[in-house]
Amino acid sequence: MSNVIHASNLTLTYGKRGKEVIKDANFSIKKGEFVFITGPSGSGKSTLLKALYGKLKPAEGNLVVGGQDLSNIRQGKLQELRTHMGIIFQDYKLINEWTVKKNVVLPLMIAGYPTEIQETQAHRLLKHVKLAEHADRYPLELSGGEQQRVGVARALSKNPVVILADEPTGNLDDYSSNVIWDLMENACQQLDTTILVVTHKIPTIFSLPYRHFIIESKGVYEVH
Amino acid sequence: MKFIKNHLMFIFPLMAILLGIEFYLVFERTTNSYEKGLKEGYSMLVVTKEPMELSNFQTLNSHISSAEKIEREGIVTEVVKGVSKSSSEKILAALPYFYNLGLDEYLHTSGLNEIQKDLEADKNIKKVETFGTTYHSNYRLFSFIKFILKVFIVFMAVVSLFLIIKQMEIWKYAHKERMQVMEIFGAPLMLRSGVLFRMAFIDAILATMLVSGIFFYIKLHWAAQSGIDILMQNQEALFKFSDIAILFGSAILIVIIAVYSVVFSSKGVQE
Repeated sequence: MSNVIHASNLTLTYGKRGKEVIKDANFSIKKGEFVFITGPSGSGKSTLLKALYGKLKPAEGNLVVGGQDLSNIRQGKLQELRTHMGIIFQDYKLINEWTVKKNVVLPLMIAGYPTEIQETQAHRLLKHVKLAEHADRYPLELSGGEQQRVGVARALSKNPVVILADEPTGNLDDYSSNVIWDLMENACQQLDTTILVVTHKIPTIFSLPYRHFIIESKGVYEVH
Repeated sequence: MKFIKNHLMFIFPLMAILLGIEFYLVFERTTNSYEKGLKEGYSMLVVTKEPMELSNFQTLNSHISSAEKIEREGIVTEVVKGVSKSSSEKILAALPYFYNLGLDEYLHTSGLNEIQKDLEADKNIKKVETFGTTYHSNYRLFSFIKFILKVFIVFMAVVSLFLIIKQMEIWKYAHKERMQVMEIFGAPLMLRSGVLFRMAFIDAILATMLVSGIFFYIKLHWAAQSGIDILMQNQEALFKFSDIAILFGSAILIVIIAVYSVVFSSKGVQE
């Protein structure tokens, strides 16, 4: 299987002073893998995630995502790459003045899909995340768990190559968290989507032997 | 209500700038014709011993564009009433030659003095009267009014620009989150700023229409009944169709600058 993500001698710095948070990291993630990245607070988990969607440029080394080297990528290419990614945030990052349905089809809208396809896909995905009846409501009218399900539906809407999730259940109760993990696991198994989850703790719900990396002392190590 | 307020907060300062631009255009047009009249109405008086041609004057100074001879007979007729014919012929023979000289452009005092100096250097020229004081006091008053109006327009534009910047801050706050989310998912600049552009373009059209409407009203109704000479004489100059293009162009330019500054300052994802 081909690598969807590949880091070699990756060094990431953060802030105006260029504080080094990850140094000389080497790792690869293949297509269809479900991967956890854990580590203590301030270890650089979110910084790594930002680098993976091109928000942060590597200070040194290479970081290749979906065949594109993010250490040296043009804005146009980065925008195109992002249309093949699904991103889930702890604070959901939904557009509050848009309806749930419109939020879900945002990636399709950006890719220029016709309205009919957007409608069909929105209906299918909202049914999948059990929010079909909330399609025309606004995010702030929903609970945290429901908002995150909208976030998952949005991440899945364009069948992305990779889904990056930053503490996706950080603000949710156990029940809502389990629903989110189920949805993500299904996406990985049924759609062969690579899923990379940054979290401070691996949920106990997972029984399958998924790969697990830990960030510690600026290094990224695989836990066996 | 919030939607209307958001639009008005942008339309009003934009209108103030457009009003400033239109005032400037109208004032330039009306004053240009007045200025032209001032220049055309000006001439200097030259007294010569012997008759001279325009070319003679032009060799002395190139700014002289016309030379109109004042008929001596006309002057003598007034003087010689009750005087014998032979005496009047003697007076006519003794009388010098008078010319009104026109200039090719408006010149300041130093220019007029230079012409006077050049003309007086010719032995055939007895006297040169430039009427500089009257001419300049008129023109200085006119220039002062023009300057004051321009300062007022610039001041109004600066204040309006600050209001637009303030409104842009509000826009930035209102649209930042949406634009950031769209950027994360790979939306190009035009797509993520599309709402802002649409909103701002509508405001630009509305502001242009309102300002054009105000000046149309002034031109067609108010000016004709105002009783103000300069407005009544220059009614046509008060508003031209080409002004709509200038106003709309200016409004669009302001809108593009405003929107781009919001878009570029909203780049990046919040922690």
